Amino acid sequence: MKSHTRLLTVLDRMDNGPIMEEADFDKLISKTVRQLIKKYGLKRNPEDAILTEDDMADRFFQAGLELAETAGVYCTDTHSRMIFSRDEILQALRWAPDSVTYGSGLDQCTIVSRKVEDPRKPIICGGGFGTPIPEEWFSTVMESYAKEPIVDTIVGCNFYTTHGRTPKTRSPWEVLLAWREVELTKAATQRAGRPGMGIGVVENAVSEIGELSGTSFGGFPQQDWHHTCFVSELKTNYGLLIKVAHLVRTGCIIHSFYNSILGGYAGGPEGVVICSVAGIIMECVVNMATTFSICPTHPFYNCDTAPELVWAASAVQQAMKRNTHLLTTVMTSPVSGPMTESLLYECAAMATAATVSGASRIDGVRSAVGVQILHVTGLEVRFNGEIAHAAAGVSRKDANEMIKEFESHYVPYLDKKPIGKSFLEAYDPIKVEPVQEWLEMYEKVKENVARIGLKMNH
Amino acid sequence: MAFYEELQESMLDGDDERAVEITEAALADGMDPMDVIQKNMVPILDDIGEQFSRLELFLPDLIMAADVATAVKDVIAAKLTKADGESAGKIVIGTVQGDVHDIGKNIVATLLEVNGFEVHDLGNDVKPFDFINEAREVGADLICLSSLLTTSMPYMEDVLKSLNGLGIRDQFKVIVGGGPVSAEWAASIGADGYSEDANEAVELCRKIMSEKKGA
Repeated sequence: MKSHTRLLTVLDRMDNGPIMEEADFDKLISKTVRQLIKKYGLKRNPEDAILTEDDMADRFFQAGLELAETAGVYCTDTHSRMIFSRDEILQALRWAPDSVTYGSGLDQCTIVSRKVEDPRKPIICGGGFGTPIPEEWFSTVMESYAKEPIVDTIVGCNFYTTHGRTPKTRSPWEVLLAWREVELTKAATQRAGRPGMGIGVVENAVSEIGELSGTSFGGFPQQDWHHTCFVSELKTNYGLLIKVAHLVRTGCIIHSFYNSILGGYAGGPEGVVICSVAGIIMECVVNMATTFSICPTHPFYNCDTAPELVWAASAVQQAMKRNTHLLTTVMTSPVSGPMTESLLYECAAMATAATVSGASRIDGVRSAVGVQILHVTGLEVRFNGEIAHAAAGVSRKDANEMIKEFESHYVPYLDKKPIGKSFLEAYDPIKVEPVQEWLEMYEKVKENVARIGLKMNH
Repeated sequence: MAFYEELQESMLDGDDERAVEITEAALADGMDPMDVIQKNMVPILDDIGEQFSRLELFLPDLIMAADVATAVKDVIAAKLTKADGESAGKIVIGTVQGDVHDIGKNIVATLLEVNGFEVHDLGNDVKPFDFINEAREVGADLICLSSLLTTSMPYMEDVLKSLNGLGIRDQFKVIVGGGPVSAEWAASIGADGYSEDANEAVELCRKIMSEKKGA
């Protein structure tokens, strides 16, 4: 792939960049972010649910670009900063793909670059993104995503157990985790009648061990999308770069995620936007990714649906989609779990914000912030996708008012963490269908969403 | 400007030179060294911690305040008796093996430090025996383990198994925390405690140290 030609340059910068203590790099980030907020006059209006100003979106992009150029990316193994000139960064952005096809045969789907307020529908990705699942239910949960027609591609959960044992990452167990994921995810797409479906992998590869193992003979192919990331803020390490080198040399689609932390070195929501923009830009340069997701994280609720983060996610998307053609995605990561109305309103807020702001793919749902065993189902993914399709073409002005109302239905519950019920209570696990109570709740919220103004055609 | 306000301003600005200067002047004017700590620095740090919990201040502000607090403590250390100058407790902290998430752990470490604990932060992706070796070397009271990944959580159990295997379990209290970690998990692996967030972690460490000192 033409965007994969920088590998040796990246590794040279890793080895030969200026040396710095990690704590000093953290201080450099926080100091530079504060300066950039002042320099570019960046300020969130708490009355707005999403960013609605083009000019501020462009200033966020310029601030993020300046942070990327100034700070570079810190490698925690070499203790060096990987620095790239503005020209090198812009060249990398220029050669990044503006579309890519996942999967094979009749099940393949193509993700394309969207613009702000684009009437074209984003593609829908369904999955629990790291939610722990006991192995005996893994395939069933994955099938609940794959069998939803609105879902174009799926992504794995994490194994809570494998082969009856409690697995450990960065150990021989991670090899078995990766192969269990290959086996049971493919079984799920087969059972759903979508054997060629593109899959986000290797979800259980917390370290490079799982990725190298799962992306090999008989494992996940190039047409699936393979994860890597940065560590917040703007850091990488040998393990993550080993994944990149392996994926480049095996010709895989690289998906890179960047999860800035509110209240951390980025500071407030404006800083989260600047760091996320810089993160995506440098993931294009260093990780040579084709798709880029964000999930800014709240320090106390661990979600991305708190109002300041919904706003931040919208600002990041608008900054990127007004100034580049990168394939960006947003994940819905709510505090609420299955069989709660608040979960559906959290989905409505984030999927609407992301779609009208130009995201090319809507990801999720990592219900109950992905930490409660088996607290995910296919129904919230169906709802998340339906919201995204309905929001395509809606103006930011209209979306802003709708999202405020969606938020009023869940913000009072954010600190109460309503984790809801597990998959085994929310679904008939043999038929892989939602129980009546969960379906009725979904229909009720859909009606209310339509009353608020978002017309859902499904 | 009164000493309290000046110290508060210098802590929020991260201005350790100014903080040292005004502390030396206050001591020269006869202020009790313990009053510098108890009546000024501690309430200022409490206030900064509360502002962080409302996200009015952020992690870099906490770190700056902690750096200034350390500089002030160094100035008055010579004036204190050994008993007065004792730390609230010695803590070894880190994110367990296989996990490179560290911002949450950094917040806990910083809040512990500003609350008077001597904190030895081992960073992230820390092997079980590295926690134990560091705890033995510094004579720690507590070992604090963080994990954001279900597949790294078993390394928490490995720390406890190793302490038991070495026959030194009773030398250290072990507490755990992080996104997927729960009180039930803590109990199941035999940890001494669990905290849901940074503020709770400080309270838990205080409680454990108070029980230890009372024992």
